[in-house]
Amino acid sequence: MSAVVTARDLSRWYGPVVGLVDVSLTLESGIIGLLGPNGAGKSTLLKLVAGEIRPSRGAIEVLGRDPFANRAHFADTGFCPQQDALYGDMTGLAFVTFLLRLSGYSARDARERAGRALERVGLSDAMDRRTREYSRGMRQRTKIAQAIAHGPKFLIADEPLAGLDPVARRGIVELFRELQREGLALLVSSHVLHEIEELTREVVLLHRGRVLAQGDVQGIRALLSSHPRKVEFRVRDARRLARAVVEMPGVRGVRISADGTELGVETSDLDGFLGALPAIAAATRAGIQSLHTPDAGLEAVFDYLVG
Amino acid sequence: MPGLVEATILLFRTQVARVWWSRRTLACLALAAAPPAMAWIIAHINTRVPPAGIATHLGWLLLVQIVTPLCALVCGSAVVTEEIEDRTITYLFSRPIPRAAVLLGRWLASLVVVSVVLGLSAWLTTAVARSSPVAGAPVDDRITVPLLAAVWIGGAVYSALFAAAGVIFRHPMIAGLAYAFAVEGFLANLPGRNQALTVQYYLRSVIAATGSPEWRHVEGFASSKFETLGAATTTLAVVLVVVLALASWRISRKEFVLSA
Repeated sequence: MSAVVTARDLSRWYGPVVGLVDVSLTLESGIIGLLGPNGAGKSTLLKLVAGEIRPSRGAIEVLGRDPFANRAHFADTGFCPQQDALYGDMTGLAFVTFLLRLSGYSARDARERAGRALERVGLSDAMDRRTREYSRGMRQRTKIAQAIAHGPKFLIADEPLAGLDPVARRGIVELFRELQREGLALLVSSHVLHEIEELTREVVLLHRGRVLAQGDVQGIRALLSSHPRKVEFRVRDARRLARAVVEMPGVRGVRISADGTELGVETSDLDGFLGALPAIAAATRAGIQSLHTPDAGLEAVFDYLVG
Repeated sequence: MPGLVEATILLFRTQVARVWWSRRTLACLALAAAPPAMAWIIAHINTRVPPAGIATHLGWLLLVQIVTPLCALVCGSAVVTEEIEDRTITYLFSRPIPRAAVLLGRWLASLVVVSVVLGLSAWLTTAVARSSPVAGAPVDDRITVPLLAAVWIGGAVYSALFAAAGVIFRHPMIAGLAYAFAVEGFLANLPGRNQALTVQYYLRSVIAATGSPEWRHVEGFASSKFETLGAATTTLAVVLVVVLALASWRISRKEFVLSA
């Protein structure tokens, strides 16, 4: 397979703020997931790939070209940006048609293609309404429609599933898979692991502007499950509950607050712990009032991975 | 892929249909309403000034010197800035068009608005001045036509300058206000050749070369030496083309970093 994106020692900073540091990677055809917590550098990398900004250092090639302000690159790529912005005074159909005209299509072809693209994202009923009347999910789908309407070879989508309800998300995931089957290469970012998992097994992990890992999503899952996780309880009798949970497999430690009403548990087997918890709670009658897992997010996993 | 001219026309046509309902156009209309309103007040309340005096004084001192640059600033500075502030410039800059088309197409659309609004203001100002009951020199074509020419040429040159400021500066409105008042407002009224560094000087030359003798009663017209009509219009045309060319060159190379 030929490389769609090749980056060498790619760095980008915004004044004193570092966006991306010494990123070298090669992305091939298919759907590639770009995964990382907020501020990891995903949008910066996508803007570099999309040709919206230049590298501060290093080089990037997309489909064999330098992407910045490159018209041939824009003819072959579609970009769905993260920002929730459209021309509010235009209908969805007029907006996509206008952008297709700028891609070189005649008025009639542009209108036809725009209609088809909006239909593919499930907006055929709303395409004649002004986009300012759209919900966030509809605007998101309009952004995707404008990115695929001109039939690009490569689609770059920055958090395309954000703001979508489950049905719409399922529709977009199906659409992306369909586009992949049609031969399109896709680079899709998200900070939510399961969103990316729904789409692809190939991921690039970014954290604090650096590539942390690249490869199969199963490996990420394995890292997740080996990551010790905290569970915090508000409980009537923390000591009684602590005595019971400390014997559970996978529990690495417990911490009880001074007033004896809060309990923190660190476990390397969160699923097993949560599965066994109802029986223990019933047996100890410790009076659990609430529980939460403060480090269940991707940020905590990344922090764990980078030490 | 669309070329510069085709993309410019596409962007112009789309933008000109949208721009009429923008807040900036409303702001322009509000500014442009001032000269006719003042003309009516002077003509019907302070009934001592003859019609030609109202039209020439308000035409130059308020319409050309203040309203024209301000309207051009409001519309011109938005040419690129509005797309940046709305975070929609990404859609235009990810299309296979010359980036300069975004500047030129949107500038032409703003020029239509500025020309219509300022033309209307100039025509209304002279029309209201005609209704003054005071006897004296009438408002004729040699007052109206030079005034229209000055606001149209001035609107074009100023809007191009402020559109270029939108490409170069992060806050073009501030830079534009500084230019309009510090350079145009101050320098154009100092005696000597330094006036030739301002757009106002050439607009005054256009009026002086084509207008009726009534214009000589307006401050700044009586004693100064002016350029010929050909020299003034040529200079302004060169300024316009050079400014747009520089802004086109800059926009083709500049990064526009948007926040999410």
